[in-house]
Amino acid sequence: MNPTLFPWVIAVPLGVSPFVYLAGRLGSHKAELNGRSFLVRGLALLTMLVTWVLFALSWMEFTSQKATLLFHLGAIWLNADGVTFLLAAMVLGLGTFVVLFSGPYIAGEVGEEKYYAMLLAIVGIMVGLGSARDLFNLWMWFEAMAVSSYLLVAFYRERPTSLEAGMKYLVQSATGSVLVLLGIALVLGNVGTLDMDQIRSAAVSSTSLALSLAGALFVIGFGVKVAFVPLHTWLPDAHSQAPSGISAMLSGVVIEAGLIAMLRALSTLGGFSVSWGTLLLAFGALNMFFGNLMALRQTQIKRMLAYSSLSHIGYILIGLGIALSNGNPAGAQGAAFHLFNHMIMKGLAFLAVGALMFALLDRNGIQRPLVVNDLAGAARKYPLAALALSIALLALGGLPPLAGFMSKWQIFVAGFQGSNPWLMGLVIFAAINSVLSLAYYAPIVNMLYRRNMGEVVQGGASIPVAMSIPLVIFTLAIVAIGLMPSLMNWLTEPAAQALLVMFGK
Amino acid sequence: MAVILIGLVIGLPWLGAVVIWRTRDDVPRIQHTLAVAFSIAAGVASLALIPFASAQTAISIPMGRYFGSLTFTADGLAVTLTAIACVIGSLAVVFSVDYMQGEEQLKRYYSFVLLFIGAMTGLLLSGNLLFMFFFWEITALCSYALISFYNDDPKAVAGGIKALIITQIGGVGLLAGALTAYAALGSYQVSDLLAKAEIIPASLLTVIAFGFLLAAAAKSAQFPFHTWLPDAMEAPTPISALIHAATMVNAGVYLLARFYPAFEHVPGWTMSVLVVGLVTAFIAAVSALIATDLKRTLAYSTVSQLGYMVYAIGAGGVFASQFHLFSHAVFKALLFLAAGTVIHSVGTRDMRRMGALGGKMPFVRNVFIVGALALAGVPILNGFWSKELILEVGLEHSPIWAYGLMLLGAGLTAFYTFRMVWLVFFGTERDHLHVHSAGSAMKVALGILAVGTFITWLFFSGLNGLLSTTLPFHEIEHETLLEMITVICSTPATWFALLVVALGAGISWMRMRGFQLFGEGWLNPLVKTSFGFDSLNRIIAKGINKLAGQLSVTQTGILSWNVVGILGAFLAVLIFLVWST
Repeated sequence: MNPTLFPWVIAVPLGVSPFVYLAGRLGSHKAELNGRSFLVRGLALLTMLVTWVLFALSWMEFTSQKATLLFHLGAIWLNADGVTFLLAAMVLGLGTFVVLFSGPYIAGEVGEEKYYAMLLAIVGIMVGLGSARDLFNLWMWFEAMAVSSYLLVAFYRERPTSLEAGMKYLVQSATGSVLVLLGIALVLGNVGTLDMDQIRSAAVSSTSLALSLAGALFVIGFGVKVAFVPLHTWLPDAHSQAPSGISAMLSGVVIEAGLIAMLRALSTLGGFSVSWGTLLLAFGALNMFFGNLMALRQTQIKRMLAYSSLSHIGYILIGLGIALSNGNPAGAQGAAFHLFNHMIMKGLAFLAVGALMFALLDRNGIQRPLVVNDLAGAARKYPLAALALSIALLALGGLPPLAGFMSKWQIFVAGFQGSNPWLMGLVIFAAINSVLSLAYYAPIVNMLYRRNMGEVVQGGASIPVAMSIPLVIFTLAIVAIGLMPSLMNWLTEPAAQALLVMFGK
Repeated sequence: MAVILIGLVIGLPWLGAVVIWRTRDDVPRIQHTLAVAFSIAAGVASLALIPFASAQTAISIPMGRYFGSLTFTADGLAVTLTAIACVIGSLAVVFSVDYMQGEEQLKRYYSFVLLFIGAMTGLLLSGNLLFMFFFWEITALCSYALISFYNDDPKAVAGGIKALIITQIGGVGLLAGALTAYAALGSYQVSDLLAKAEIIPASLLTVIAFGFLLAAAAKSAQFPFHTWLPDAMEAPTPISALIHAATMVNAGVYLLARFYPAFEHVPGWTMSVLVVGLVTAFIAAVSALIATDLKRTLAYSTVSQLGYMVYAIGAGGVFASQFHLFSHAVFKALLFLAAGTVIHSVGTRDMRRMGALGGKMPFVRNVFIVGALALAGVPILNGFWSKELILEVGLEHSPIWAYGLMLLGAGLTAFYTFRMVWLVFFGTERDHLHVHSAGSAMKVALGILAVGTFITWLFFSGLNGLLSTTLPFHEIEHETLLEMITVICSTPATWFALLVVALGAGISWMRMRGFQLFGEGWLNPLVKTSFGFDSLNRIIAKGINKLAGQLSVTQTGILSWNVVGILGAFLAVLIFLVWST
């Protein structure tokens, strides 16, 4: 086993996190507000960039070895396979730009240093989550991620709505975690080990009811974090109350990390029951339909985007369900591709909305949610943010030539291969849902490009450059991937392969 | 050479769209000039492409395992329609220079027009089903953006959403068909589907055939998806001329024509196509009889004429349908642009307020009459030849009752056309409308189209040769212009049609002069709800909204209920897992 740089991708953000906090606290006595803010921001950004370099180097190790990288932190063994790298790329990608974006957004807020510290911590933790090799370790990273996200969601601790959202999130997430822990205990009691590979081989020949129970516990326990319907009720509140950068992280990577954790845990029981695929398909259909319908009536944009995330998780679940039902690599790769694309699209949507909220509301000291009507004529004053938001929304609606179309297409292809009428019908249902989603995306785009600027837009301040840079880059990425879908093959193919291997297909 | 021209014909409009998006809003002159330049360049490229038409795939770029290869094939069908799209596109843009003078947010307008032209040509030239769908969706997006261009007007916004949703639902049919074809053949190539249709299992081929029919019907506003086109008239008139008369709505007819050889033996398909076209042609013509909005009348007329084209395909006359598509594009664009000139001048679309405008706008009146005569099917304009060709095909290959109804439709066409011309340009002045004359850019566009209406039928031999030699699967008969003229002039179908047209025009003239032969009150409620289908749309939309509203009870805001949800779901999953092992 060769030494690898990958553990540093986990260790660096985690390790620097307390120093960022300290720097912020110590600085507050001496330096001015602005100085402290820049120190903290700069340190966080620098850390992310260093982590990127480490990621690139370990990626090169991975492709040259063509095998999973094995390493250990102390006595715990971890591994980095295709799925790990997919999650790491997503987390680092979105995380870096959220750190940059949050600069002006969080500047001067109470607890600023905690924000960046927790943000760095959660980045490291999520990469660690993707590397877990045994069930309890997986649970530990999962809990760590949950705890850091509670603090980030309830960041505005003076606002009662923010605290309420954080509280609900905490209780529901804790319920889920308890269920997962029960499931792990059941597996341990039944199979005698926590190592995922060993459980996998043992579970193939087992017929114990306890493993069924454990599977159900895993699906629901992790499912709370992944926002399966009807476990999703924490999501609209958490997304709308959190600072916009965190909303982007939640929808873009935290939910997805939860999904990957669930898949890891479930894959250990993969040889035991073939119903996992059907279960995922059922939840997928439910999520798609429910998410779209609930988003239809929303006027608050962040809540609408939160419900939209439900429906996109639905598409991903359908891709995964198809892959697990008949071992179809297209389904797995489509799901991986959509995971990545959703991160970019939803990330961009939340960041663009955040930029507009910042300029229209926060800068003027107004503390209320942004509604669709606030954006009347915003394109005239904020052309970049309006274009970015429009492209993000149209991409989420699955319109070409944007990224969302290509990943949805790949999932749809998987559904039709094999000519199973149920799967074909499900794909048609998914396509119709995609059309339905345009009914709530298109009015926002329309409102942005109105001729007459509304009062809110007229009174708005300008958007800082640090916020505009992520918008530009993500917009270009969405268009580029939409025109050349094979751009992301290097990341999604190994992930898809690793996924199928995990489930023994 | 074909490769370069194909690249130009798609790439130039798209480049223009990006360039115009980056211009500043305070110098509209630049935006007008750039738009005209790019669209004319695309038009020239599309005409230059015609001599290079061939059935060979011109461009092939691999796009990845699940996406096939991005291929473009410039065969006769594709280059003809591309030329129509680009040339009429450039005329619509030229017209827009005057029409959109002084409008705000021009760059949004021109960018989407150019994006549309590029996407339309991409759709027509595409040899890969996935990318055909890709371009199909982009045209739907552009159509939506341009219909709701005046986005402060709720009617325009509503019209845009309606068009988007209905055409997208139809698009699901194209999606399903493309995916099924891929699953059955392992390839997205259009040529593969045409060549190997017989080896596809019958059930799958039926899915593909009817999926494509669904998509075509929605895109071309055919029954039962005919409700969106009249509402799309809120778009600026050059858009109505370009997208909703001459190009985008033809995409559905194109789809049916392109894939006819693959589906003609699917049981029930050709009859379905025929019936869809027939019913549409008829009910749209009836709706046009009593419409009071000038653009709506033209919209119904477009739907009706598209119905004729679809009917022709159902009867096996693929070439006849494309010939009529060609004529229709020219004369309908002419009619829309002329109507646009009138509307721009007097400030209203309501024909009841117009009247006797002919004296004040002689040029527009004359070109409008030319277009109207072509629409009604009066010799020797292009509409006459192509419509007669369709009716002749119908008489020989479709059931007699179908032919009879289409013949009646021709009479109805003559009726509403005459009524439209009379109400606008003749009769008495019903309101005091201030008329200002048409700008020179408008006149140029109108003049070119009017000349086209007189002469495009002369290209019959060329068109026939092009299609019959470059479409290997379609088995189109070779026919020269002279042969066509002889056939048309001697077939009884023509004489019936001319009789019916004369009757239609005559009855209309009598009505206009005051003789009421029949009341129209009973028609009003039928037409208002598009023969019940608009009510259906409303019911569906309301139902979905209501369901969405009712679902909001699940977000109780009470933590205990949320946890109940978690535990309840756990029980459900457990039961499922236990039951399935």
